[in-house]
Amino acid sequence: MGFWEKAQQVDRRIIYTLMIITLAVAMIKPVGLAISVNKETQMAYDAIEKLPAGSIVWLGCDFSAGGMPELIPTLQSVMIQGFRKNLRFVAGGMWNMAGNMAEVAWTAVQPMFPGKKYGVDFVNVGYKAGGNVLLEKMVSDAHTAFVGVDHYGKPLKDLPLMNEFKSFKDIKFIFGFFTGTPGERDYIKFVGGPLGVPIASSCVAVSVPETMPFVQSGQLVGLVGGMRGAAEYEVLVKVPGRATAGMDAQAFAHLLIIAFIVIGNLGYVFTKGKSGKTT
Amino acid sequence: MRKEGPVAVGFIVGLVVIIVTYFSAKPLVAIKGELDQWYLIATAFAVAVGLVNLVQIHMRKIQHKREGWGYSIVLIAGIAGFLLFGLTVSSAGDPKFQWMYNTTIVPMNATMYSILVFYIASAAYRAFRIRTGEAAVLLVAAVIVMLGRVTIGEMISPMLPKWTSWIMNVPNTAGMRAITIGATLGGISQALRVLIGIERGHLGGVE
Repeated sequence: MGFWEKAQQVDRRIIYTLMIITLAVAMIKPVGLAISVNKETQMAYDAIEKLPAGSIVWLGCDFSAGGMPELIPTLQSVMIQGFRKNLRFVAGGMWNMAGNMAEVAWTAVQPMFPGKKYGVDFVNVGYKAGGNVLLEKMVSDAHTAFVGVDHYGKPLKDLPLMNEFKSFKDIKFIFGFFTGTPGERDYIKFVGGPLGVPIASSCVAVSVPETMPFVQSGQLVGLVGGMRGAAEYEVLVKVPGRATAGMDAQAFAHLLIIAFIVIGNLGYVFTKGKSGKTT
Repeated sequence: MRKEGPVAVGFIVGLVVIIVTYFSAKPLVAIKGELDQWYLIATAFAVAVGLVNLVQIHMRKIQHKREGWGYSIVLIAGIAGFLLFGLTVSSAGDPKFQWMYNTTIVPMNATMYSILVFYIASAAYRAFRIRTGEAAVLLVAAVIVMLGRVTIGEMISPMLPKWTSWIMNVPNTAGMRAITIGATLGGISQALRVLIGIERGHLGGVE
């Protein structure tokens, strides 16, 4: 078997090994490539900037641990930006890890703002079952939808912030963090559309293509896409974090994949007619 | 009557939900609120049914020592552990429950997702071959987007992010919009079929 035939049939274990080496080296020794800000990320940031102090923002934590590297950095950056502007946040979601995700972000951000208190500036209502029906309920009566307790089992009536948040009519903005369904489409259908509450989305990179039409139609006022978007948001709030650190790894991983695609195609072109086997 | 009854109930309930969605008829709004509560309760029961079903399937697998029965033991132990532990704590926010969750579910979930990078790398290498003109267009678009979405792309050419933006905003959005509208129309027609009783597959048995 010649070189170009071999180039079409590189063993997957070689690809895996090179990928892990690339990712590890980039994570351990980042180059620190400059990050420019995309228009859609800037739109989301500007929308939050325009909110008056004291506004209540809903953080829809509709994702699981698999989405953490791409979504948690944005969630934290939005909270940092919001707390600087004295916004208040209520976090929760329709995914069973919603409470845990909100907890991770609050635990990381709260020490940066010692004056911000749980129950006054932030509430984690956690995971609530029901999907679309839950959203519909939240539009009319959030406390009933949340079955009266937060993620920690505390009665909502004992939390001062929740006395001002009786339904989605009391919130000024929705920032959702999504890895699938239920996700932004449900918020658009049941909250954004009927109430006219602006929605921004932070989604995993694979969901960006299907989310873009909603940005163009104005149903989403901003979109923070994948780890790149998260890194851009960290740049905007001037608190570099894990997304910024991960960008080098992602860049070199993409380069490696492209290199393999090029090698495979060169092999295909040079051996055309000789070997069609590619698996 | 075994099928006509559920179809009639489904039709009436569906009609109420549709009317309330488009017109705020007050008596129906209250009925819709009640139906929402029923939906939430039914959802909880569906989880319970799913749990029982899952346990039955895996218990049978263990009993007959079918291939991979060891994994079934892990699954049953996991379900039992979380169930028993979950029933002893006050809420999902309980520190002990959090610890258990964060040290098992979170890393496993993250691991499942993160190993995708290896499969994607391998699949991209094998699948992206310029066999046809269409495949060439797909490959060029994919390479531009892959480079344009990472920092190194800007270093290679400042045009790459602009091209990426165009690909995402014009052809991608046009395609996605067509798919979304098509799928929604399909969903509406399917919902109508269920509502008026043409589609009865969900009632079980042979149509």
